Amino acid sequence: MSHIARFALGFFCGLVGCGAPLVADEPRLKFNRDIRPILADRCFQCHGPDSQTREAGLRLDQSSAATAELDSGERAIVPGQLEQSELVRRIRSNDPDLQMPPPDSGKQLTDRDRGLLERWIAEGAEYERHWAFVPPQRPEPPRVEDSGWPSNPIDQFVLARIEAAGLKPSPLAIREKLIRRVAFDLTGLPPTPQELQDFLGDESPQAVSRMIDHYLGSSAYGEHLARTWLDLARYADSNGYQYDTERQQWVWRDWVIAAYNQNMPFDQFTIEQLAGDLLPEATPQQRLATGFNRNHGVTIEGGVIDEEYRTEYVIDRVVTTGSTWLGLTLLCARCHDHKFDPLSQREFYQFMAFFNQVPERGLNGFEPQERIPSPLAAELLQKYDRQIEQLREELKATSRESQAEFAAWLERLRSQPAAEWQVLRPGQLHSTGGSTLTLLADDSVLAGGANPQHDVYEITAVTESIGLTAVRLEALTDPSLPGGGPGRHANSNFVLSEFELTAVSVRDPQLTREVKFVRAEADYNQNNYEVIKAIDGTVAGNSGWAVDGPTRKEPAIALFVAAEPFGFDGGTELRFRLRHEASFATHGVGRPRLSVTAHPAGEVSLGGPPPAIVALLNRPQQELTASELADLERYYLEVQSTRGQAILAEIARLEQERANAFPPTMIMRELDQPRQTFVLNRGQYDSPTEPVTAGVPQVFPPLPADQKPNRLALARWLVSPNHPLTARVAVNRIWQRLFGVGLVKTSEDFGLQGELPSHPELLDWLATEYIRSGWDTKAMYRLILNSATYRQSSEVGREAYLRDPDNRLLARGPRFRLEAEEVRDAALAVSDLLVRQVGGPSVYPYQPPGLWTELNNRPGYSLEYPEGKGEQLYRRSVYSFWKRTVPLPMLKILDAPDREVCTLQRSRTNTPLQALLLWNAPQFVEAARHLAQRMVAEAQATGTDPAARGFELVTGRVATAGELNVIRDHFTAERERFSHDEAAARELLDVGDSVPDANLPLADYAAWTSVARLLLNLDEFVTKE
Amino acid sequence: MNVSPAQLAQAQLTETRRQFFGRGRHGLGAVALGSLLLPGLLQRPAAASGQPDDRAGGLPGLPHFAPRAKRVIYLLQCGAPSQVDLLDYKPSLDKLHATELPASVRGNQRLTGMTAGQGSFPLTKSPWKFVPYGQSGMMLSELLPHIGKVADELCLIKSMHTEAINHDPAITFFQTGNQQPGRPSIGSWLSYGLGSEAENLPGFVVLLNHNTYDQAQPIYDRLWGAGFLPSNHQGVKFRSQGDPVLYLQDPAGTERPQQREFLDRLGQLNAARAAEVGDPEILARIAQYEMAYRMQMSVPELTDLSDEPASTFELYGEEARTPGTNAANCLLARRLAERGVRFIQIFNRDWDHHSNVKSNVPMLCKQTDQGSGALIQDLKQRGMLDDTLVIWGGEFGRTVYSQGGGEGFGRDHHPRCFSIWMAGGGVKAGFTFGSTDDFCYNIVDDPVHVHDFHATILHLLGIDHERLTYRFQGRDYRLTDVKGNVVDEVRGELLVASGEWREASC
Repeated sequence: MSHIARFALGFFCGLVGCGAPLVADEPRLKFNRDIRPILADRCFQCHGPDSQTREAGLRLDQSSAATAELDSGERAIVPGQLEQSELVRRIRSNDPDLQMPPPDSGKQLTDRDRGLLERWIAEGAEYERHWAFVPPQRPEPPRVEDSGWPSNPIDQFVLARIEAAGLKPSPLAIREKLIRRVAFDLTGLPPTPQELQDFLGDESPQAVSRMIDHYLGSSAYGEHLARTWLDLARYADSNGYQYDTERQQWVWRDWVIAAYNQNMPFDQFTIEQLAGDLLPEATPQQRLATGFNRNHGVTIEGGVIDEEYRTEYVIDRVVTTGSTWLGLTLLCARCHDHKFDPLSQREFYQFMAFFNQVPERGLNGFEPQERIPSPLAAELLQKYDRQIEQLREELKATSRESQAEFAAWLERLRSQPAAEWQVLRPGQLHSTGGSTLTLLADDSVLAGGANPQHDVYEITAVTESIGLTAVRLEALTDPSLPGGGPGRHANSNFVLSEFELTAVSVRDPQLTREVKFVRAEADYNQNNYEVIKAIDGTVAGNSGWAVDGPTRKEPAIALFVAAEPFGFDGGTELRFRLRHEASFATHGVGRPRLSVTAHPAGEVSLGGPPPAIVALLNRPQQELTASELADLERYYLEVQSTRGQAILAEIARLEQERANAFPPTMIMRELDQPRQTFVLNRGQYDSPTEPVTAGVPQVFPPLPADQKPNRLALARWLVSPNHPLTARVAVNRIWQRLFGVGLVKTSEDFGLQGELPSHPELLDWLATEYIRSGWDTKAMYRLILNSATYRQSSEVGREAYLRDPDNRLLARGPRFRLEAEEVRDAALAVSDLLVRQVGGPSVYPYQPPGLWTELNNRPGYSLEYPEGKGEQLYRRSVYSFWKRTVPLPMLKILDAPDREVCTLQRSRTNTPLQALLLWNAPQFVEAARHLAQRMVAEAQATGTDPAARGFELVTGRVATAGELNVIRDHFTAERERFSHDEAAARELLDVGDSVPDANLPLADYAAWTSVARLLLNLDEFVTKE
Repeated sequence: MNVSPAQLAQAQLTETRRQFFGRGRHGLGAVALGSLLLPGLLQRPAAASGQPDDRAGGLPGLPHFAPRAKRVIYLLQCGAPSQVDLLDYKPSLDKLHATELPASVRGNQRLTGMTAGQGSFPLTKSPWKFVPYGQSGMMLSELLPHIGKVADELCLIKSMHTEAINHDPAITFFQTGNQQPGRPSIGSWLSYGLGSEAENLPGFVVLLNHNTYDQAQPIYDRLWGAGFLPSNHQGVKFRSQGDPVLYLQDPAGTERPQQREFLDRLGQLNAARAAEVGDPEILARIAQYEMAYRMQMSVPELTDLSDEPASTFELYGEEARTPGTNAANCLLARRLAERGVRFIQIFNRDWDHHSNVKSNVPMLCKQTDQGSGALIQDLKQRGMLDDTLVIWGGEFGRTVYSQGGGEGFGRDHHPRCFSIWMAGGGVKAGFTFGSTDDFCYNIVDDPVHVHDFHATILHLLGIDHERLTYRFQGRDYRLTDVKGNVVDEVRGELLVASGEWREASC
């Protein structure tokens, strides 16, 4: 038996007072409570839902199968008939050939297990459906002896259980501790002194509920709740896998914060995140919400197979959705039928079909993306809109004033020829690397066949022209090229290391000239791979021209201007060399086409009037319509009128800035043509077997028949009122957050292997209440926080803790260490360093140097951690840049997950590394200095003691005389030390980016800082009590 | 409060120790409670040190049987070193050199995106000689003279194979038994299962060799992560720059007496609160601060090499004086092993030679050979090799055919066969296991899968790989997933006579 199960069972027995064999006058056994856990753990491996591993045709998870006649002629279970039940004979047997479970299976029954099984069969072997698969019914709250204690129905359920165990609830928590508990639970921050004072001074009976409402209305509520959702959503600011490059998904994170702060009902919250794009008339914000299922890692490792990783992403969505909403481990059914839960492998892939319809790739699978503004940035957007509107007004005025100039310009333009490009018809084609080069009808050259590491295309063409000034290279796309882009690499990119040309006289082949290019221009340049690098004479350091093939599947054009005109009288053979010699192998240009021009070198440009304008210019003016003339006028303003140009440029800049204020966010989208989903043999991407259509497992209510079975139908199904799991799973998670352990301890597994709820009726009552309230999340928090259960003290003495270490009976208030982000945010809050800006790009708080590059120093794929400055260092932790492969140590050390996968429960450990962090990390040492300043200043203002003030700020309560003595001793000793060692004092005060207060006496300042460090290391500071 | 905080703190501390550490591992109740409240890592108190039967954390009933190895030093060669050039001697390639790899040998082998488009697959023999080393005459590359010196200690497995062909999934597979992220690493499984015997150090330590080459493998924290195990079982990285352990150093240059005073006052305040509230977690926190305080001594003492005699640097080379070199980390690994650290993993990651094999392989050998060989010799001299398992190997092999071609040829990834070696820790010495075909392309005899490799390591540590499980999301997970067979052939003599070891019951 696994460890967890042993503890769980032991605990269970302790509570119901069993341990010894059950006494005879106990009520009838319940299958779900007493029998299924035994069968599931010890028997289902071979006699459960998985048809592949089923032995002897026996299935014990269903009544009909368990009581049916087997091939052997026996019946495993004959209800009421112990002696006729083969199961009984087998579990009693000592014969290794008969004994069940078999001795070599590693699974054993205890005497108690045997007793229970026999009694259950004797009682009639009644099966029940697994509790979590039956929709919750709203139970009546039970009667309790102490009817004065309950504040709401929650308390009746809890108290009944406490009374049954012969115990009493704990007294109310003192107010200082209660407000601190509420503040952390609803905002992840400690109460401010003002909030504390207001609450302590509020004598009214509504004081507590008013205080709770205050925090529910705070913007910090959304930040805090969103932060917990990010663990489920495996949100990160990097792409994971080997290179773990940066991604920009924070606009989606802002959406979550906004949704919580608006108290978006949980059903809508669910539908928009899973299928917002499929809603009728979906708004940009609804599409943004679907970023939830694009938060998985994305690989950029060159050698991977696209479909392999695309499959992983889709499966990640299945797993994440299953864990988050169903509390089930669907992944177990990827390779075979689920061993314990009634989920077949086929059903897994039916579920997968919902998420398999995204137009996405495995390698560099960032699309689909869309630039959508953050919902937290409405003000910023309005500011842009106002400015742009104003400029448009100005532009109108400008254009009216300059009609005459416009006419003159038009005339001039008409009489001036544009550069004419002569497309070259290639003669000889040769690839040094062994590619096949084929001449197409439009004179372009298509590369195909073998795709060598390095390659040089040698292309010749003859021209009669002389005085040539420039060459144009078009990198065209072609359906035969990978991914529809212009390059030959699997990711559609190319890297043109060098572009070279030799001109040879046709008349006298001895006469040759290397054409030197002095200027280059391209309509698109990849960052760090600008076209100029194709004529810089070197291939070292991967110097060359590239065009972002992975994300931009479009043709690209470059032009190269020669230092001097070229071309021989009597014809010239132009010998081009397109060299691909970067260390990025197989990055050839896919379909080049070459042209030349004799236009004056200084005026050759890729710019010039666009083809549409040229077409207008070529027509008589009287034929042009008003709108065509307006187009011309607009073009004129752009290129000619100084004032108009300036305004248009400014508008363009603002529009660009407005658009770029928000990065593209990865979102969900549906393929036009559905992709066929298959069962994958053993879960392998390349072993498809049976085709399947989207559907939900049979154990659940069916999808509504009138809806197309897609993600939207799935999302609506999840939040339909008769769904057995969604509401239970959601309220259980809320309970877990507040009390440390869920009513179902295994919040990640509501299946047959999961633990039974400690308070099944309370769970169902809360679930039905959540649905009844319209999935009102704030109302759910309000309800629980207003219960007497929640308000109990956690200062209850050692006995109580030893009796019920996990507080499963709920006979005391919750007490456990704060989560990583809360610890850091609390230090910033009590020291008054916290910057309360809501939303925006992620920031980079303190981190020891070298942590990123010691793991990855590959050029182009790694960077030094760009530690922030000033305010960025003091933002809430939810905004800290989350790099999956190197999570921020301040958070990681305090058990933050790496967010590689959906995390439903964090560990809660207690380690020496945490002690070192709170002692010595610059963030905390600096916070201590600011806390010291605050203690001194506030004590001065109120005429009290900085030690007492500091203690209050950190713990929320008044220190005892004994505690104050220890703190003052520390101050005295430290002041003594620092007054003799100014260097040490300065060293302590210099930690951090902020400047120490020059007005405070050095030794006092350092000593109070040392006191503040002591306070920030108190167990009470890092603990919710 | 009637008693002074100091008295109270003292009383509480004593009580903590008595409660959590005082009893040996056979007191199941104490261990169970201890592992619930103070799981795994680093809680052994000073008072309990030196007792042979003592360890912190770990599961009751483990080890399952007599271990051959007590600890592991794993020299992980990320990027994948070339078995063709270093460990898998192939005289047959002299004749086959520059001929085309027959399609029948390649079969339906998946290629990486890097050579999939290559038109030709010319067999390319190693540019270096293989020479016999030691009594056993083990044939290894001339580039490995120091490892060659300890050839008689090596157990060379030439028939490793894996399922992954790209670095990330392959190294994740080696470290966790699964290609996708999310599972616990080997070291964290061992910390969880066996607990820690290190007195003032973590039980699972990671050392990173400096990158020296711009195509070095990126690596990631999750390679030593705890996955779904409690996060205190994750590896602790000892760094060669800044504090060896993050935030180890006090910023104010505090002397030990002041630090002690700080800690005493903190302990008094926390103990007072513990008395008031009753939550044992507070006592655990006091113990963790004590441990941190001891680490502030033990870690600098560990990394300060001034107590090493000149002979050490003759053995490991002068480079061992430069933190972050392979030699320095191998020496550090020995010092960690001496202090009872269970699992020490060195990440060396410059082996991904898609080009310029001729210059890169000798460079990497020069960087790694002496330290690795010295470590074996050193452990042997100290009598520690018997119960320390040393492993050297990468995440897959490299192709016998060249990538690119010409003088600057490279070798691509090759998962179908590769070589690793082990030494000490109960493996057969001077022994070679498994073989590959004349093309160094396919395994001929005794294939060893990654799962088998894991099962074998656990076996050597006294663990039945099928019985070290953790229930997560309703399933009992293991390092070896649902596979893995112990490779019995590589086992040497038992470390402990079997009669002395009684299987613990629970």
